[in-house]
Amino acid sequence: MRLLEVDEINVSYGRAMVLHDISMHLNQGEIVFVVGRNGAGKTTLLKTLMGLLKPWNGSIFYEGEKTLGIGPVKLAQKGLRYVAQDKKVFSGLSVRDNIALAAYSNAVSMTEAITNVTSIYPKLNDFMENKAGGLSGGQRELLLIGRALVGHPKLLLIDEPTEGLAAIVIRDIFKILVHMKTENISAIIVEQNLSIVNRLADRIYVMREGHIIKEIDNSRQTEHSNELESYL
Amino acid sequence: MDILRALRFRAYPQKALPVYKEICVLTIFFLLLTPIMHMYRITDFMIFCIFVMSFDLLYGYLGLLSFGHVLYLGAGVYISVLFSIYINSNPLLSLLAGTLGGGIIAAILGLIVVKLDGASFALVNLAFSQIGYFLVSSTFQKLTHGTDGISSRVEAWGFLNFSNEYVTFSFILISMLLVFYFLKKLTSSPFGVLIRSIKENETRVTFLGYNTYLYKWITFLVAGTIASFAGGIYTLYVQYVSPTVLNPLDNIDPILAVLIGGAGNLYGAIAGGLLFMMMKDWLSSHFAVWQWVLGIILLIISFWFRHGFTGFVMAIRNYQRKKAVTYDQDGV
Amino acid sequence: MVESLIYGFTLGAILYLFSIGLSLTFGTMKIINFAHAMAYTLGVYFFITFLRVFPGAFSISALLAILCMIPVAYIVERLIIRRLYGESLDYAIIATYAVLLIGTDFIKFVWGNVPQQVSDPVGLSISVFDFIIPVYRLIIVAVAIILFVGINILIRTTIIGKIVVAALEDADGVRCLGVNVSKHFSIVFIFGTLLAVLGGILYAPISAADPYMWLSILLIAFAVVILGGMGNLNGTFVSAFVLGITMAITGRFWSQAADTIVFVVMAIVLIFRRRVA
Repeated sequence: MRLLEVDEINVSYGRAMVLHDISMHLNQGEIVFVVGRNGAGKTTLLKTLMGLLKPWNGSIFYEGEKTLGIGPVKLAQKGLRYVAQDKKVFSGLSVRDNIALAAYSNAVSMTEAITNVTSIYPKLNDFMENKAGGLSGGQRELLLIGRALVGHPKLLLIDEPTEGLAAIVIRDIFKILVHMKTENISAIIVEQNLSIVNRLADRIYVMREGHIIKEIDNSRQTEHSNELESYL
Repeated sequence: MDILRALRFRAYPQKALPVYKEICVLTIFFLLLTPIMHMYRITDFMIFCIFVMSFDLLYGYLGLLSFGHVLYLGAGVYISVLFSIYINSNPLLSLLAGTLGGGIIAAILGLIVVKLDGASFALVNLAFSQIGYFLVSSTFQKLTHGTDGISSRVEAWGFLNFSNEYVTFSFILISMLLVFYFLKKLTSSPFGVLIRSIKENETRVTFLGYNTYLYKWITFLVAGTIASFAGGIYTLYVQYVSPTVLNPLDNIDPILAVLIGGAGNLYGAIAGGLLFMMMKDWLSSHFAVWQWVLGIILLIISFWFRHGFTGFVMAIRNYQRKKAVTYDQDGV
Repeated sequence: MVESLIYGFTLGAILYLFSIGLSLTFGTMKIINFAHAMAYTLGVYFFITFLRVFPGAFSISALLAILCMIPVAYIVERLIIRRLYGESLDYAIIATYAVLLIGTDFIKFVWGNVPQQVSDPVGLSISVFDFIIPVYRLIIVAVAIILFVGINILIRTTIIGKIVVAALEDADGVRCLGVNVSKHFSIVFIFGTLLAVLGGILYAPISAADPYMWLSILLIAFAVVILGGMGNLNGTFVSAFVLGITMAITGRFWSQAADTIVFVVMAIVLIFRRRVA
C-alpha cells in the first residue's frame, strides 16, 4: 500500500481554480520533489495534502485512509508534517517553547524533543531561551524541520526549504534531508535548487499552471538538470 | 476626473425597459399593501427601506459593516427639524437641508472612518453614533430640547401638504422609487463593479491603479446622504421627534434587515426592510416578550440562510431552471 | 476627587474582568462575541438567586453562580461559536447577538424586568487621610490585579498558555503540529466567560441588576478591547483602567458625558494609531 495516493484533485482559491486534476503518489521511504515556476500551484498542493485546503473533487489517501475533511490536526497526529514556505515560527514564544508545543502534541518528553532537534542542529542549544522571532531565516528553517521531526513522523511536506538561505545553511539542510532518508522518513519537497533535487530525489514531479506535466524517475541518479530546466 | 467618467459612462448596454419594469412592480406592490395596513405604517416602512438600501450599499456592495448608520438617519431628522424651526419652514428646503447636512457629516467622518477595517470600522461608527446621540440629547439641549423632543414646524407648500396622508404616501413612495432607481444605476455602473471588486479583494484593486480610499469614501458619503434623506423625509409628516431616532441600540436594525432580505441586492434591502418591520410589528403586538423570536430567526439565517430571503428565492429559481433544462434534454 | 479615582479604579477592574473574554475570543477566533454580555447578566442573576437562598453567603453564592455558568458557556461555545470559526465577521456578530436577544428575554421571563439590588457584602469603609474609601471597592481592584498577575503566570508557564499565545499569532501553524486548537479555544472561551461573570457579580452591589445591564458595559468594553489591542491581554489591563478612570473623572464634572467620553477617546486613538486593529 502506498503511503500517499492522490487521485484527480481539483482545488480552488476563492473563485480561482488553482489545481487541475492532480494525481500523484508516494511510497514509503521515498523522497519526492515537486518543481515548477512560481505560481504553478506547488504550495497549494502541499497545503491541500496537509488538510489546510479542501479539494472540491477527487480524493487523497494517506495510509489507505481518505483524508477529505480530516483536517490538519488529525493528519499531524497520524504522522504528517508541514513546513511552510514563509518559515513562520511562533515568534512570541521562546525556541524552547516552540519545541514544547511539538512535544506536547506528540506526547513526547521535553528532553527527548530537545535532543531530537538539537541532534540535527546542535547550535540551537545556544538559542533555547531566545524568542523565536529573533532567529535568522536559516535558523528558523532548521528549527522548523527539527520540530517537524519530533515524534517520529512518517511524511514531511516541506515548502522551499532552501529559499533565501546562504550556501552554508543549505549544506546543513541537505545533510538533514540525507539523514531523513536513512531513517526511512518520506518527504514531498517543493524546491527550486536543482542540484539538491538531482542528488536526493527518488522521483520528481514537474508542475506548471496547476497541472502536473511530467513525472521523472530519478532512482538511477542520472543527471536530469538540463531536462528539468527545460520545463521551468 | 476618473470618477465622473465612471459615473457617466455606461459600460453595459442598458436596456431602459427593465428598470422601469422593476419600478412598476415595486409601485404596484406597495399600492397593494394599502388595504392591508394603515397608510402611515406603510410610509414608515418605506422610509426604513430607503434607510436599509443606503446601508446595503455600504455593507452588501462594498463590504463595510457599520454599527453606527443610525447616526445619519438621525442627523437627517434633526437637521431638517431644526431648519424648519429656526430658518425656513418650507418642506422641500428642510428636506434638502437635512440631506445635505447629513451628507456633510458623512463626508467629514468618512475621511476618518474609511481608513479602518473590519471590527474597527464597525465599532468606530458605533462610537460616532453614540457621540451623536449624546450631542443631541445633552450638549445641544438648548436647541434640540434634549430628551423632551421637539416638534417639527414644516408647513404645507403648494400641493405638498403632508398632513394629507395620500400626499405623504405618494411623495414618499416616489422618493423611495427615485432612490431605488439611483442606486440601481449606480450599482450597475462601473462604479458599482469597482466597489464590489473592492469588497472581494481590495489589494488587487489597488494594484490595478485605483485609489480605493477615494471610492470607499464616496460610497460612504452616498450611503450617509441617502440615510439622511430618509431621516429628512421622516420629519415631513411626523409631528414630533426625539433623540430616540438616534438610539445606538437601533444600529442593529438595518443589519438584521439586510441579512433577512439578502445582502448585496436592492430587492433584498427592500424585502428585508419590510419583513423586518412586519416581524417586529407582529411580534410585539402578540407577545409581551418577543425579541427572542427575532433571535431564533437570526440564528437560522446566520447558519442556514446566509443569503436571506432573496437568496432563498434565487436558489429556488435556479433549481427550477436546472430541472427545466434537464427535462428538455431528456424528454424532448 | 479621590473618591472618583477609587471609583475609576473599581470600574477599570470590572471592565478588565469583562473584557478579557472578549479580547481573547476575538484574538483567537476572530469573533466579536455579543453573547458574552448575556453570560455576564445571567451569571449575576444566578448569583442573586443563590443569595436569596443563602442570605449573607456572598462568596458561596458567587462560587455557585460561577459553577452554574460553566455548562452555559460550554453550550454556547459548542453550538454557536464553534460553528462560526473561520466565518466572516458579520455572521458571528449576528449569531452571537441573536444569543444575546434570546438570553435577555429568558432572563426577563424568569426573573422579570424589575431591577434587583444587592447590598455591599463588606459594608465597611476605611479612612485614609480624610477620605472615606469603601473596603469593598479596594477588594475588587485587588481581585483584578491578582488575576492579571495570575493570568500572566499561567500564560508563561502552562502549555495551554503557550498554545494560546502561539495560536493568537498563527492558529494554523499550531494545528499543523497536531494540537487540537479548537478544544483549547473552548477552554479559553469558558475561562473568559467566567471572568466576566465574576466581574458582574463583584459589580452587582455597586449597581443594580436588570436584564439590560449589559448594555452600558458592552459598548465600553468594545472600546477597551480595541484600545488595548485584540488579543493583547496586558494592553486590555491598561486600557481598562485608563478608560475606567477617565469615565469616573468625567462623570464627576460632567455626568452625562461619562459614557460618551470613552468613545471620543477610542475614536481619537484609532484615528491616530499607525497599525490597523
